[in-house]
Amino acid sequence: MMVSVSGGKGGTGKSTVAVNLAALLSRDLRLVLADLDVENPNDHILLGAELAGERPVNIMLPFVNYQKCVKCGACGRVCDTGAMLISPDGLPYVIPRLCSGCRSCYFACPVDAIVEGKRTIGYTYLSELELGESKITLVTGSLREGEEHTPPVVLAARRRALSVEADLHLVDTSAGTSNSVAAAVDGSRLLIAVTEPTPLGLHDLDLILEMAQTLGMEAWVVINRAGIGPEDDHVRLVRERGAEIVARIPYSRRVVESYIRGVPIVLHSPNSPEAEEFRRLAEMVRGVVS
Amino acid sequence: MGTVKVGLAVEDDSGLDSRVSSRFGRAPFLAIVELEDGEIGGVRVVENPGASARSGAGIKAVQRLLEEGVRVAVAGAFGPNAMTALEELGIETVELAGVSVEEALQRIRTRLQGQ
Repeated sequence: MMVSVSGGKGGTGKSTVAVNLAALLSRDLRLVLADLDVENPNDHILLGAELAGERPVNIMLPFVNYQKCVKCGACGRVCDTGAMLISPDGLPYVIPRLCSGCRSCYFACPVDAIVEGKRTIGYTYLSELELGESKITLVTGSLREGEEHTPPVVLAARRRALSVEADLHLVDTSAGTSNSVAAAVDGSRLLIAVTEPTPLGLHDLDLILEMAQTLGMEAWVVINRAGIGPEDDHVRLVRERGAEIVARIPYSRRVVESYIRGVPIVLHSPNSPEAEEFRRLAEMVRGVVS
Repeated sequence: MGTVKVGLAVEDDSGLDSRVSSRFGRAPFLAIVELEDGEIGGVRVVENPGASARSGAGIKAVQRLLEEGVRVAVAGAFGPNAMTALEELGIETVELAGVSVEEALQRIRTRLQGQ
């Protein structure tokens, strides 16, 4: 079964919720945590883990055989990302950073002048780690610096995570509601939307709940940093969107300390009210899994 | 100096009165101006395919200017992809914004006459 942690706004605590759930649920479930926030993966930092088992994520990069090219411009016309520039002499030039590897130019060329090369745009990792008495498998996707096409890396990391047999695949997504987020959560039984009591938290919660509705996915809302602002509008919005607020993690200095130490709060301060709320949330998720 | 074609990223479709845009790739329109011995011969405003592009906007705008045979490109700022392509293609770039096409041409005329 797959469960996703998302939430729209950046910095609301998606990864904090994901690693604490992972730490608790792995006590009696075989658990894979998939960090699909490929532009800024940080679950390994929060878990104090090293990335291991690096594999490149390659996409197709076109090369032009200029001896075959008949200067028809077909490749430039089909290119959706502007990666194929037709120069004044009619010859195409490839701008690698813009290329998404879609192969349209390859299929459009009438004289087979496009040669398939490849380019590494990111990496996936697989780390086996021990957390207290339990073990989890952490799969991480990481986009190379300067690259802009996240979906191939998200999908590669997702595939790698799903290839590991488990009772629960817990997915941690990036912020936003882009196609990368939709691809990350695809097939989830449940979407846990993490938000915070701020106007921007409210705004982005609306977007992520709309996405969940569009995908026909059950959504639970976790309010992180509870207590730093009013929640009336959040309560109203969640009701309107047919979702439910299932947990409120109090704003606390201990959470920051656990973050800095790379130990989930449920292990760092197991007797704290924050840890208690995470345990309650984990029990609810546990109820869905079994 | 003969005929030189200048391409300006502009905010609106008002001929020589169009405002030069602060950005190149995402400007709504491109004004194509023919300068004959430094005098304005004709102006056409065309849609910028980069304005609605999901990515690679700058390159799409460059491509459109290439189709017009433009030798000089004018905008408030050029993105890194557009800048690289324009430099590679030997198209001169002028960073200038907030004025009309006519004013922009006045200002860069001295520079063009050096060509």
